[in-house]
Parts: sequence; C-alpha cells; structure tokens
Amino acid sequence: MLATLTDLKIDTHVHDDITVLSPTMTEEVAAILRSANAENLAVEPAGGRSKLTWGSRVTPRLQLSTARLTGIREHVWQDMTATVAAGTPWSTMQRELARHNQRVALDPVFPDRATVGGVIATNDSGVLRRRYGSLRDLVIGMTIVLADGTIARSGGKVVKNVAGYDLPKLLTGSFGTLGVITEVTFRLHPLPTKTLSLTARSASITQLADLMHRIAAAPLSLEAMQLRNEDADFALDIQLASEPDVLRNQEQQLRNLAQDCTLAPADPNIWSQRERLFAEPDATVLKISSLPAKLSAIVGAAAVLNTQPHVRAHCIAEPTGILTVAFSALPQHLAVLTEDLRARLRAHGGSSVVLRRGLLPHSVNSWGDTPPAIELMRAIKHEFDPNRILNPGRFVGDI
Amino acid sequence: MIPSQVIAELRAAVGDANLIVDCTQLQTYECDGLTNFRAAPGAVVLPREAAQVQAAVQVCATHNIPFVARGAGTGLSGGALPTPGCVVIGLARMNRVLSIDLENALITVEPGVTNSQVTDLVRSAGFFYAPDPSSQIVCTIGGNLAENAGGAHCLKYGFTTTHVLGCEVVLPTGELVWLGSATGVPDTPGYDLPGVFIGSEGTLGVATKAVLRIVRRPQCVQTLLAAFDSSTAAGQTVSDIIAAGMLPSAMEMMDRTSIFAAEAAVHAGYPDCECLLLVELDGPVDEVNTQMHRVRDLCTKNGALGGDKAQRLAQSDAERLLVWKGRKAAFAAMGRVSPNYIVQDGVIPRTQLPRVLDEMAHMSAETGLRIANVFHAGDGNLHPMVLYDASHPGEEERALNLSYKILELCVDAGGSITGEHGVGREKQCVMSYMFAEPDLATMHRVRHAFDPHNIANPEKLFPTPRLCGERSRGSYVPHPIEAAGLAEVF
Repeated sequence: MLATLTDLKIDTHVHDDITVLSPTMTEEVAAILRSANAENLAVEPAGGRSKLTWGSRVTPRLQLSTARLTGIREHVWQDMTATVAAGTPWSTMQRELARHNQRVALDPVFPDRATVGGVIATNDSGVLRRRYGSLRDLVIGMTIVLADGTIARSGGKVVKNVAGYDLPKLLTGSFGTLGVITEVTFRLHPLPTKTLSLTARSASITQLADLMHRIAAAPLSLEAMQLRNEDADFALDIQLASEPDVLRNQEQQLRNLAQDCTLAPADPNIWSQRERLFAEPDATVLKISSLPAKLSAIVGAAAVLNTQPHVRAHCIAEPTGILTVAFSALPQHLAVLTEDLRARLRAHGGSSVVLRRGLLPHSVNSWGDTPPAIELMRAIKHEFDPNRILNPGRFVGDI
Repeated sequence: MIPSQVIAELRAAVGDANLIVDCTQLQTYECDGLTNFRAAPGAVVLPREAAQVQAAVQVCATHNIPFVARGAGTGLSGGALPTPGCVVIGLARMNRVLSIDLENALITVEPGVTNSQVTDLVRSAGFFYAPDPSSQIVCTIGGNLAENAGGAHCLKYGFTTTHVLGCEVVLPTGELVWLGSATGVPDTPGYDLPGVFIGSEGTLGVATKAVLRIVRRPQCVQTLLAAFDSSTAAGQTVSDIIAAGMLPSAMEMMDRTSIFAAEAAVHAGYPDCECLLLVELDGPVDEVNTQMHRVRDLCTKNGALGGDKAQRLAQSDAERLLVWKGRKAAFAAMGRVSPNYIVQDGVIPRTQLPRVLDEMAHMSAETGLRIANVFHAGDGNLHPMVLYDASHPGEEERALNLSYKILELCVDAGGSITGEHGVGREKQCVMSYMFAEPDLATMHRVRHAFDPHNIANPEKLFPTPRLCGERSRGSYVPHPIEAAGLAEVF
C-alpha cells in the first residue's frame, strides 16, 4: 500500500488502525493525495482534531495530518493581510498577529487546538460575526490540493479581487470533501483599543430580545452580543469596543437602554461560553442556522425544555441567526427533540447540523434535510474528487 | 444566425412582445459599457418572470446555442458583450421587489431592480444597501451579482457577495434552483454556492431572484478632503490611518488630471493640488468625532497643504453628495481632458502604491500616453485611465497595450488584474499572467459542474487559445514585498 510514498520520507505512524501521514509542505500533500487517489484509499484531513466529530462519521484508511504544516508565511501588517500555513493553531496565529495589534476578526471554538485549516473547513464562527462577517468575508486567498494532487492557488493577497471564480468560498465549510487546504491568506482587522463587556439578565426572554433589538439599533460601537439561557434566567452578553472616552459615554447609554434588566460586568470567560456546551460528554451539540427574529423563541424553547425531568438544554444565540445548542436526554428523547427542532426550523428555511452526536441515535441524520441544490453540489464534488477519496460521506447528502 | 425554428421556440418561451429579432433593434445590445468591443446577438429575449428565463435557457440548452445575460449594460469589462449570434437574456423587465423584511434586515428582489432602488426602498426605515458601484443609479442587482460589484465603501462594508444570502438561479442546463437560502438564513448546509456564483460573470447561470442583506445607516458620516503635493504623502497618510487602528468607510485618492476633469464636470470645489485624499468615517457621533480629529492630525503631520485649516470637512448630506459626485463622475469626466480613454481596474497591496505609481510614470513617459489615476486607497483598488486619441493611427492599440502592461505591473506587485469590473472579454488574456495553468483548470472544473456544454457566456473570463494565443506565467514568483524585505516573513 502506498509504495510510492515510502520514498518521500513523510512522517508516518499508525493510530487506531489508521495510517497517519504528516507532510511538511504542499507538494508532499499533493504526493500523498495522488497516491491515495490512484489506490482509491479514503483520506480524512485532520488539523487539531477538535472538530472531527462535526458532520457525519467517516471511516478513512489514511489520515492526512496538517500538524507539521505550520507557521505564518507572511504578515504584511501595513496592508493588513497575512498568509498562514493551514496546520497553524488558531491562537498561535493570533498571538503573532497581535504583535502588530492585528487579528483575524473571528472567534472559533477551541482556538488553542483548532487549526486554521480546520476552522475554515468547518466554517466555524463566533460572536464577532455580526460586526466582521464570517470566514467567507475574511479569507482572501487559498492554496488547495485536489484529490488528484493538483495544486491550485486562488484569490490573492489583496482584499478586493474579482479575478476568476472565488474558490476560497467554495472550500470554506466544505468539510474537507473538495480538497486539502494548505495555505490561507486572511484580511486582518485592528485589535480594539479598549473593550467593555456587560451581561444583562432577566427572567423574561421577551425583555432581553427587545433589549437586543434596541442595542442593535442604537448608535453604539457594538463589538459582540450573545443571547443565552442560564439555569434560572436569560442572559444577554454585550461587548462594546472603541476609544476609552467614547466607551465611557456609551456605557451610560447602554445602562439607560437596559434599565429594566440587571446589568453587571460580564464573566471574563463569557465570550468562550460556546465551548462549555461541549463539556458534557454525552450531550448532543447542534449548530442551528435561523433568522434573527427567531432567536429568542429558540432560546426560550430551550429554557422550557429545562423544566422537563431528565432534559437539559443550553443554547447560545448570535445575532445574525446562528445558534449553538446542547441537549442532554435519553437517546430516544434526543431523537424526538432533534426532529421536532428541525420541523420548527424548516418552517422558515432554518436548519441544524450535528456537531457532536453524544447519545443521539444514528438513525437521525447529521445534516437534516437535503438542500435543493444537492445535485449541483454532487456535480462539483464529482469534478473535484471523482473517486470520492476525500472524507467520503462526511458532508450533506452523503457527499 | 439562429434558425427560424429556434426563434419560434424562443417566441413560445417568452412571448412575442418579449422577443427582439429585428436587426436595428438588436444593435442596442451589441456592447455594454466597454464600447470598443462589439458583436451582434442572434436574438434578444426580455423575460418578465423566472419561468420565461428558464424556458429561454432550455431552448438554448436543447439547441446548444450560447446565451449571455444582461442587466443595464453598464459593465466595464465586456461581461455582457454578446457572443456573435447568441441569445441575449435581458433582465431589465424583471424589476419587482418581492419582499422587505426589516425585522431580519432582508430584502428580496428580482434581478432588474437597480442598486440605488434598494437603498431608496429601505432608507426611511434607517437602512441602506452597502455595495455602491459608481453606476449605482442605473446598474441592476442581477449585474451586480454577476460581477460581484464593489464601490467605494468595500473596505468597511464588503462587496456584493458579502450581502447576498441566497439567489434563485436558472442553471445553464435549464434547471431552476436556489443557491444559499431563499429566506435569508445564513450558513445553510452544503457548499457555499452563492459564494462561487456571485462574481462568475454570467458563466454559471442567470440569477432570477436575490435575497439581500441591508445594513443600518450609521448615526453620523463625515467626509474629509485633504490636499497633498504628492501621492506619496497622501499614501503615507492612508498607511498611518490604518496603523492607528481605524477602519474608515472609504479612502479615495485622485491625481491632478482626475481632479481637473472631475472639477470641470461637476464643480465639486476640489482644491488645486497634486493629490487629493478623501477620508470618510461613519459610526456613532462621539466615535467619529474622536477619530476624525486623529485623521486630521495625521493629514497635517504628513504635510497636507495649508495645514489643518485647508482640510475641508463635509458634514451635511448635501456637501458629502457633492464631494462624492466629483469622485464618481471621474471616469466620465475624462472626456473633458481627452477624446478617448481606457479605464483599468487593477488592485495592489496598498504599500506598493509609491512603487507602482513611479513605474506608471515611466511607462507613461515611454509611450507618450497620459495616465490619470483614481484609487480606492483603503482596499488597494487602482483605476488608471489611459488617455489617447483614437483619431491618431495606432494610438488606440498602444493605449490598450499600455493598459494591459499596467495590469501585469499590478500582478507583479502582488495584486490582481481586477478589483470590481470583472475579467469579461477585456482582461481574459491577462488571466494567464495572474494564474498558473492548474489554478485555471480548477476553475474550469467548477464551470463544468454548472455548465457542462459551455453555453453560458462562453469565451469570457478564461483565456482561450483562439483569443489569447499562448501566454503563460511560471509557477512561484516571490512576492515583491517579501523580496524587498518589507514584510515580516517567518
């Protein structure tokens, strides 16, 4: 097996019966994929292994680890761009960029373990999304290796660029099914001068939803906001970011808006709260795509579930319409909960994807309904990976 | 020529009132905003609904006839230039607004709605549609999707693709399908098909509906005009603003020739100088005031002419509108200083500006052709205008060559051949200077998945041997910033 690879001296070891290969450069990734493609071996690309449970399960023959594809290739801080190898852990990258008071304005989960490539392949995003957009707005160039070993570069190193098809967008959120990302160029944003985080609490979700709406409409330098259910109350976390003088005035404005709720300094870890949803090992964690106007109803429903015996439901909503929810319950009950949630979301075109299955029975599909454009997606997959060696079955519609 | 039997099928598809086959009438459609390329279509259909678009595309698919979609025809790269004898699908008559959903900050429109109309519809509710190409009063949303239209405010607000949550598309195979979300939900499961469709220049299908995100209008907008005696000083100011951690909604630079032309055309009251810098900040009043103060200090520090007093701050909507009118009229105004001109659309890393401008001055001296520049300084999008006189034999060809050389210069500087106008017919041959063969082959795979028979706007975007001959760029060339030791390379 993979006789051609032995000559390449690529770091190889066996882990749980799977051969793990750790190339150090794009050309080695190409050599591995070319051989795997010729021998029809299923390959699972892996970064920091923090999100290998997201989407459907894959049984690969080979795992292609990006652990040794690391480093910041270039940080042109005056142009606010940086090119980074895909295996670089997210927080390692951010630390380097912070030397010039810059960052990639995105807050994925598990930043210490998650790699740049893995975050992009799963299209993760956090609360910075409302202000700065998601990865599709922050990635400006990419080097990818296709299943047959073709190395393709697309996009570039400039923020504004419409030359050719936007392949980075196609690869973002493709869960490793179209190619292996080896290098990424980001547009950067400045780190905020000063931030202020407060948490508003209320027993009424309507009251907080209303506050969220009024804050979004107010002339505030709003950096981030998230709505969630706690054991007793509902909470709205708010972060402002601006010049110190401006923040003092805005804090007062915010207090005036939030008169009906209790407002307190936020817990310092509040903005990584989404990670805590993964803390319970048996919990089922879902990513929900919905509409801004539906968020409070979904968070409210989670609180109602919490009043039922043997059910726990925690939900964090981000204002553009993305929620992360963790359910703990008996397996058959989890299946009912998930299907019921999907039926409700379907009514307004929403959806949910399983990030971690927990006790959720395998009879419940990880991706929910098949999207209307599935045939086109399959056609793209077929063009990029006709032998289906890259993460076969991980993606929506068994792609 | 399209066979009469096929014409009959097209007539059945869209109705007699929505079909043009008369030669004189067809002439209207023989070019877009890039008027030096022209070709006559075989027929034009002007559908009123998606089903008619679909029916027309099905006729084309059945008979393997190329089709070219067209909005208002304002594109500057020949994206809507017909393939000789093709079917042009004009979408101007599909101009209904289907829904406005303020609660979710969404608006759903047909492709013939103009860019400005979208903002007009939501302005009173305190919203706007962010992409603002200079042609926004006439250009259509369908065309904006095809070209991934930008504008002056991209640095802060992004491009068309940032603001489209879903679109209904007739694929070149004749299927009608939603890409992304029909209701405006973000991150729908599956590949980001709107992401690859938007900006595909009509080569992947025809959009028949679009769900757009609208943005809340900022509390305050201030625009500063500062005059400099060199582009280097203005460019340094831009870098200093960025280094200070500010993100202006727009930063524009104009050189002397552009200022003169714009001033002659719209009397915006621009000062007499070598380089004009326009900085626009928006947001909460107190934040804008604080930051504008710092911007003015930076302008003064970099030698803005006349010091702090000469910098003009436009605060009222009327003042700002006038300032912008001059900038947005800059292309058209060139007619006042030169009988003919070619507008280019290169992008460079901002830090490369002094080097690129120097090089352009050399090229101008060598060819004897004047080059005027307007520059979206925030995002590095450069619009050099090569001025020439077509009545002088051979001058047009020299001007075209010079404009392509400028694009190659942008690529060499680590940039792109197009920031917002698209590749179209105009720049397809320069594509192989920017991308290596495997990069282009990978894009072809996408194209093949959408359009297996290559009938949607064929012979655009990609270099073809017939139109471009053999031109290829080698694989890796070190980034000039890297080579010059200006970047931090780890």
